[in-house]
Amino acid sequence: MKRMIVCVKPVPDPNAWDRLQMDPVSKTLIREGIPSVINPLDKHAVEAALEMKDLFGAEVILLSMAPFDAQPVLREVLGMGADRAFLLSDKAFAGSDTLATARILAQGIRNIGEFDLIFCGNFTLDGSTAQVPSQVAEFLDIPNVMHVCDMSILKTESLLLTQKIEQGTVKLEAEPPLLLSFTKEANKPRYISFMEILAAEKRKINIWDNAILNIDETLIGLKGSPTQMADLLLQPKQRKGIRLTGNPEEIARKLADKIHQLGII
Amino acid sequence: MKTQHIGVFIEQRGGVLHDVGLELLGKARELAEVSKGTVSAFLLGRDISALSDDLIAQGADTVLLADSPVLEPYRLLPYTSVLAQACETCDPDILLFGATRMGVELAPRLAARLRTGLSAHCMDLRLDTEGKLLQMVPGWGGGVVATIRCPDHRPQMATVMPGVMKKLVPTERSGECIHLSVKEDLHRFGPKVLEVHIEEPKEMPLEKADVVVAGGWGIGNPEGWAILEDLATLLCGAVGATRPPVDEGWVSESRMIGQSGKTVRPRLYMGIGISGMSHHVVGMDESDCIVAVNTNPDAAIFEVSDLAVVGDYREILPPLLKEIRTRLPEGRIDTCELPQ
Amino acid sequence: MDFLLSQREELLRKSVREFAESELPPKIETMEKTGEFPIELLESMAKLGITGIIAPPEYGGVGLGYLARTIALEELGRVCAAIPMGMQVHHMAIAALNDFGTDEQKQKYIPPLAKGDTMGVVAVTEPSGGSDVLGMQATAELKGDKWILNGRKCFITNSHTSDFWIVIAKTAEGAKGLSAFIVEKDHPGAKTGRVEHKIGLRGANTGELVFDNCEIPKENILGQEGGGLAVALKTVSESGRTGMAATALGIVNACLEEAARFASERVLYGKPISSLQAISFYLAEIYTELDICRLLCYRASWMKDQNMRCDTENAMAKSYTCDAAVRCARKAVEIHGAYGILQEYKVQRLLRDAMVTVSAGGTGEIGKVVLARAALAPYRKKK
Repeated sequence: MKRMIVCVKPVPDPNAWDRLQMDPVSKTLIREGIPSVINPLDKHAVEAALEMKDLFGAEVILLSMAPFDAQPVLREVLGMGADRAFLLSDKAFAGSDTLATARILAQGIRNIGEFDLIFCGNFTLDGSTAQVPSQVAEFLDIPNVMHVCDMSILKTESLLLTQKIEQGTVKLEAEPPLLLSFTKEANKPRYISFMEILAAEKRKINIWDNAILNIDETLIGLKGSPTQMADLLLQPKQRKGIRLTGNPEEIARKLADKIHQLGII
Repeated sequence: MKTQHIGVFIEQRGGVLHDVGLELLGKARELAEVSKGTVSAFLLGRDISALSDDLIAQGADTVLLADSPVLEPYRLLPYTSVLAQACETCDPDILLFGATRMGVELAPRLAARLRTGLSAHCMDLRLDTEGKLLQMVPGWGGGVVATIRCPDHRPQMATVMPGVMKKLVPTERSGECIHLSVKEDLHRFGPKVLEVHIEEPKEMPLEKADVVVAGGWGIGNPEGWAILEDLATLLCGAVGATRPPVDEGWVSESRMIGQSGKTVRPRLYMGIGISGMSHHVVGMDESDCIVAVNTNPDAAIFEVSDLAVVGDYREILPPLLKEIRTRLPEGRIDTCELPQ
Repeated sequence: MDFLLSQREELLRKSVREFAESELPPKIETMEKTGEFPIELLESMAKLGITGIIAPPEYGGVGLGYLARTIALEELGRVCAAIPMGMQVHHMAIAALNDFGTDEQKQKYIPPLAKGDTMGVVAVTEPSGGSDVLGMQATAELKGDKWILNGRKCFITNSHTSDFWIVIAKTAEGAKGLSAFIVEKDHPGAKTGRVEHKIGLRGANTGELVFDNCEIPKENILGQEGGGLAVALKTVSESGRTGMAATALGIVNACLEEAARFASERVLYGKPISSLQAISFYLAEIYTELDICRLLCYRASWMKDQNMRCDTENAMAKSYTCDAAVRCARKAVEIHGAYGILQEYKVQRLLRDAMVTVSAGGTGEIGKVVLARAALAPYRKKK
C-alpha cells in the first residue's frame, strides 16, 4: 500500500442550516455567511487512510472539488495527518451534477497518478445523493464498495470489508485498486493534534483548474450535467396542527392512515 | 404526451423481495397509465423466476429476468453489467431504484456507465406535459425540495425512498417474462462475497429510532405504560418519556427526551399524555411528523403537532393498535430494521 | 493592532473544542461524585498536545506559546473546568522546570510531563496559607549529599495524581531563604496526605503532601539555593494566574451558552423568557463580561509570548476573570429559575466551579494587591 487518495468535500455547517436562504430569481441557495466544515463522514474516510499510513507508511492525499475558499477546510484536514492536498477549482466546474462531478474527480485522480485505494465518506450532508463514489469508480473502471463499516488488511494485502446492509452485514474480500465509502461506524476519526497543526502549515495545497485537468467543457459544469434543477422550494417547518375528530375507532383509522403515509407501515 | 417505458429494479436478497421494488411498481404503473406506456421489472438473482408472477400481479407488464448463479448473492459489478446490457436491449425511458443500501450503490454506477442522469432519494415522481419525468428531491436536511429533470439523456434514472410509494393490491394481470442472457465470466469482477449475515433485531436505541412513542405524566401508572411499549414495538420504534414518568420509575432515565435528556428526530413522534413543556419539546420538535394525544384541548403540545387528538389515550390507543395490526404484513415485527 | 487570531490558533481552538465536547462529558458524573481527576484522559490529552503544549520540542513538548495554551484551557473549561484546573498546574510545573532546571533535570522531568505519563505539581501553600510565601514552615536542610525536608503542603492541585512534585521550602530565613526542590514520591519520607473535598472543580485532585525527614538527592534542588521565591513567584504569576484565568474564561463562555440557550427555549407567558427585558439584560452583561475576560486573558498571554513583562496583566486577567465567572454563573443560575439549582443542569456546576477559581492560583485579593501597586507606582514618593 503506497498511496491513498481521500475525496473530501466542504459542506455548509449543518448548525447554520436554519439560516439558509434562497435567491428567488436564480433559484439557488445563498451560502454566503454560512461557514464551511468538512463533510463529517469524510473524516472517517481520512481516518481509514491514516490508519493505512500508520500501518504501511502509505502517502495520504486529499482531493476536493470546491471553490478556492475551501482551502482553510482542507488545511484542517491536512491537520489530521494527510500529506498533500489537491483542490480542483474552476468556474467551468460550477453547476456540475454528480455525473459531471465524478468525471472531474476521476480526472483529478488520473492526474495525481498511481494509487492503491480511494476513500470517500458514504454520503455528504448537503447533497446527500451518495452517488459520487460509485460514479468516480465507474469512470476509473475500478470496483467500489459502499457502506463500509469495518476494514482490515489480510496478509496478502487484500482487504477484508464489512458492508452494512438493512438486514445485517455482508463480508467481502477485495483487492486494490478499489474505491471504498465509509460509514461512521468504520472508525473514530482522530482529533487534530497540535503537533500536526504545526506540521500541516508546511504541507502543500495544490490548486488545479481545467487548464491542467483538460476535460472537454461540454462534459462538465451545468452544460455537462444530464440532470437539471427545474425548481427549488424552501419547505418551512410549520406544523399544521390538524385536529382529528370522531369516535376512537375513526380516530385510530385516521392515525393509522397517517402512519402508513409516512411509510412506517 | 409521449408514451413512457418505465423500468423498475426489483431488489431481492436471498429470494426475499424488498418492499420498495413493489412500491415502485405501483408508482410506475401509475405513470405508465398517465402516459399510456408500459412497465418492466428488472429482476436479477438465482432461482428467482417464481417471483415474476408477483411482479406482474403488482403492476409489471414485462419481467426482464436474469437468472444465474453469478447473480447470487448480489454483487455490484455483475449487477451493473447485466442491467447496462438490459437497458441497451430494451431502452427504457425511465428507470427507478429503491434508495436502499443496494440501490444507492448500484444506481449511480449504472448511471455513470450509461452516461445518464440520476436523482437521489426522491419523495415523489410526476410526468410533465411532454411525458418527461419530474423528480422531487429533498435536500439540506429536509429544508428544501428540488425538482430535478433529465431532459436529454435516457433512461431518466431516480432512486426513491422506501415507504413513500404505495404497492398495488395484486390483481389478475397478464404479462410476459423475458430471460436475459448472463455472461458466466461476470464472477471474475469485483470483490468476493464471503458471507451475508442477517442480524436479529435488538432493542431500538431512542436517538436512532424512526418512530418514537413518548409518554408523559398523563399516562398515570405503570400499567398504562405497557400500551406505549406495545405501540412502539409494533411500529419498530422506541419508547421515550418526559421527566415525570422517569421520576415515577415507569421507565428508565435513558428514555428521557428533552433539555436534560436526549434529542430525537424520528420520522414519526407520538406524544401521549404529554403537556408539551418547552423542556421536552426542544428534544423532539425537529421530528418529521408529530402526533399528540392529550385530554386537555389547550395542551401546549398541540401547537407543535401535525396531528392533534383531544382525548384519553386509554380510548384511542387500543383501537389504533388493532388497526395497525390489521395493516401489517405477517411477520413484520421480526423484520424490524435496526438503524445503522 | 490586530485582534484576530491566526488560522493556527483558530484550528487549535476547533480541535480542542471537538475533543472536549466528545471526551469530557462522559467523565463528569464520576468526577463530580468521586472528586478524582480522570487520569485515563492524560493519554488522549497528550496525543492532542495539551499536556506538553508549552514544553519545548526537545523535551517532548509541542513548543506552542501561552496564547495557544490559554485557548486550549478555555475550551476545556467551557465543558468541564476541573480538567484545565489540573492541566494548568501541570503546565506550571513544566514552566518551572524549563525556566529554572538544569539540562539534566529538564531531560529527566519534562518529557514524562509533556507526554502525560504523570501530572505536574508546584507545592507552595501550607496550612498557614499560600499568599504569605515567606511565612511558610516547611524546611530543608543539607546533610551530606541529601536535602532533608520536613513540613506539610496543602491545597495542592494534582497532589495524588503525580509522581513528583516541585516543593518550595525554607533553607534559611528571609526573602533569600526559600529554595525549590524536585521531590519524587518514592523519596524516603515523602507521602501524600488527605484528599480535599471541594465544592467545585471537583474533578481536579486537591490534597496534602507530607514530608517527614524526607531525603532528597542534593542535585534535586531546582534553581539556586535561596532562589525558591523566584521560582514560586515567576511560576505563579506567569503560568499559574493565566492558567487559572483561562479556566475561568471557559466557565464564563459556558455561562453565556447555557443562559442564552435556556432563555430562548424556556417559555413563560407564551414567549421565550429571553424576550423579558430583565433576562435579556442579564444576557447582555454576561456577553460583555465574556469579551472583557477574553481580551484580558489573551493580551496577558500574548505579552508573555512576546517575552514582555506581564505580571500585572496576568494578575488583572486572573482576578477579573475569576470574579466575572462567579458573577456570570450566578446570573446564569438565576435565569434558570428553580432549574438552576437542580443537579442535572450544568449551571449549578458552573457556579460552584467559579467559586473555587477565585481563591485558587493566587487569590483574587493578592491579585488586587499587585494591581494596586501598579496603579500607585507613578505616585510613589521616592524615599
